Amino acid sequence: MNTENFTPPSRRHFLAGAGAVGAAALMSGCVTSSSTGSSSQSSSGSVSLQSNLSSPQAKTAMQDLVAAYDKRGGTKASLNTVASETFRTQLPTYLTSANPPDLLTWYPGSVADGYARKNLLLDVSDIWQTGELAGYSDALKKLCTDSAGAKVFVPASYYWWGLFYKKSNFAKWGVQEPKTWDEFIALCEKLKSKGVTPIGLGAGGGTAWVASAWFDYLNIRINGARYHRELLAGKHSFTDPQVHKVFDKWAEVLPYFDPNGTALAFQDATTAMLNNRTGMMLIGTFFADAAPKDQLDDIDFFQFPIIDPSVPVAEEGPTDGYFASARTRHKAQVKDLMSYLATAEAQEIYLKGSSGTSLPTNPKAKDSGTPLVKKGRALIESAADVTQFFNRDSSDALQPTADNALTKFIAKPKEVTSILTAWQRDAQKIWSQ
Amino acid sequence: MAVLSANTRARGRRGRATRVPPVVLAFLLVPLLAEGFWVFWPALQGFYLSLTKWDGVSPPQFVGLGNYREMLHDTVFHTAVLDTVLWLALFGGLSAVLGLGAALLLQQERRGVGFYRAALFLPVVFSLTATALVWQAMYQPDGLIDRTLSGVGLGSLTHPWLADQDTALYAVIVPALWRQIGYVMVLYLAGLKGIDPALYEAAKVDGATRRQQFRHITLPQLSSVNAVVLSVIVIDSLRSFDVVWALTRGGPYHSSELLSTYMYSTAFQSLRLGYGSALAVVIFVLAFGVIATYLVRAFREAD
Repeated sequence: MNTENFTPPSRRHFLAGAGAVGAAALMSGCVTSSSTGSSSQSSSGSVSLQSNLSSPQAKTAMQDLVAAYDKRGGTKASLNTVASETFRTQLPTYLTSANPPDLLTWYPGSVADGYARKNLLLDVSDIWQTGELAGYSDALKKLCTDSAGAKVFVPASYYWWGLFYKKSNFAKWGVQEPKTWDEFIALCEKLKSKGVTPIGLGAGGGTAWVASAWFDYLNIRINGARYHRELLAGKHSFTDPQVHKVFDKWAEVLPYFDPNGTALAFQDATTAMLNNRTGMMLIGTFFADAAPKDQLDDIDFFQFPIIDPSVPVAEEGPTDGYFASARTRHKAQVKDLMSYLATAEAQEIYLKGSSGTSLPTNPKAKDSGTPLVKKGRALIESAADVTQFFNRDSSDALQPTADNALTKFIAKPKEVTSILTAWQRDAQKIWSQ
Repeated sequence: MAVLSANTRARGRRGRATRVPPVVLAFLLVPLLAEGFWVFWPALQGFYLSLTKWDGVSPPQFVGLGNYREMLHDTVFHTAVLDTVLWLALFGGLSAVLGLGAALLLQQERRGVGFYRAALFLPVVFSLTATALVWQAMYQPDGLIDRTLSGVGLGSLTHPWLADQDTALYAVIVPALWRQIGYVMVLYLAGLKGIDPALYEAAKVDGATRRQQFRHITLPQLSSVNAVVLSVIVIDSLRSFDVVWALTRGGPYHSSELLSTYMYSTAFQSLRLGYGSALAVVIFVLAFGVIATYLVRAFREAD
């Protein structure tokens, strides 16, 4: 490096710089104008991939994936990982900016459709016609289609929710996996008589959304997946008698919940389960990222108990993947990258690098093959319907209304009527946006 | 040309004191422009947004005073106002009283007093978010506080402090106070240093008790510092956000909701940016109102 030509920035340079930045701020103009201003960015150069997968294992896996894509020659991709909470709040800004990231990680279904209806997502129907995407399941094809009939999403992986427990503990306590609601209550009663807190929750310390899993599952078991989706879309009211029934069922098992359920974050609640302080908890497989490796072999799960056998069995199987900004200047390149991300090769690279508890969406891709993952795959594949999760089946904006209603219900189950009235009122404000 | 230069020379001779060199002007105008674009312009836009319905994606829709009308019937807003008043009274009041107390205790130059001053001031150095994380660990079930309570035989008092609606707000105020007291103490220490010792000597000669000295010398002499402390406290109370967000996010179910946290969650979680902006305007009016009233009064007294 030639250091001789380097001159330290003088005050005059600094002022000139400050002036230039000020002028740039002036040019960029008003934040509220939804400008479609043309940018000088050329259509060559690399495709930018904005990722919210910021946990260390997932981030490394994404880096491996981008490296593998770049190695193929042709278009290059550049990865930009953003902390997941920042990503979530900034996503509308990313999508509406005049010079957006080309490809973004996010969720299909209702959430993606919300953006598609505002014309913010790139129509990628053509890449679904050929290649490996054409072989994807019909359920996934439907999930990635917006309300106007265009495909706007490419799925990469999914995971499942279940009641997780430690095999060694269930053997020690002499209990079996329950199948029905009555068996489930009997199990809780037995654990309680042994001095164990039956159900851990983990809806405190910033992860209040975990409680929504209970609402989702009880609702799809009692009222079915269709009613559940319609309710979240604002077509029914949270004050309906059907919703009351969900909370009546919940109240039956509430005495078996960990009293610290709303004080501990899910990471601490899973630790409590792994340390034998609680018997089981309803959680997604992502918790395995934080669990010690030697404990993973001892972990097992059972399906959320059946309440009404006449309701078709649905499971929560949240899907993750990618959508592209409608304002991308690299349409062809971004579609090339999306097609690659849908291949079995790409999805296997990602699973190898990450904790390996999620499942690939490509039917030809191999999962990590552990007994736990096989069981999870069978659970989702046997389901008559698959829901995503509360926020994914509605919108991220509706999630806080659920958090408030559900934490209040857990603390004051007797006030359920007023809680549901308040929930409906809060939700109405979001739906009427 | 000649006329021009003669003119400038003439003006230069007559009004040397009022003539501002261009460099100084540049130094004033450039930051003013920067401030204008990055502070005043967005602030004005905030006012405009408070009259709209905006989800951050589609163009904002003008709704007039609709957002302000909604506040009248919004029970969460009412809780947030009450909690903010409570916060102002408890956090503001206690930090002023305890900060003044600490300053009075630690004003004398004795051996070791520097250590205590540093110890009290140290929390100010930490980021509030980091502070909040430490306190969160202490408040946890099985955390330091619950264990200490069980250790001394008060096991019945153990409690999920942050998850109970009756204790959440107070549990959040404690770490905020822990930090603020040191800051207020330093302000008062500086004020106490500025009081002429001759006043106390004269009072002693006149036979004034310590209480009389405090009432009639210390307090009146601190009035200018009080203005600063009051402004700092009011502004810090109304913008208190980080510690609440890090510990409870305004929950459980809005029981520790402040105007600031409600504004944030409305704007950036529920994506109701119009209503969020209206809440921000309310916070601004409150802060500005309190401080302006006090300053007007203070100036009037000074005259």
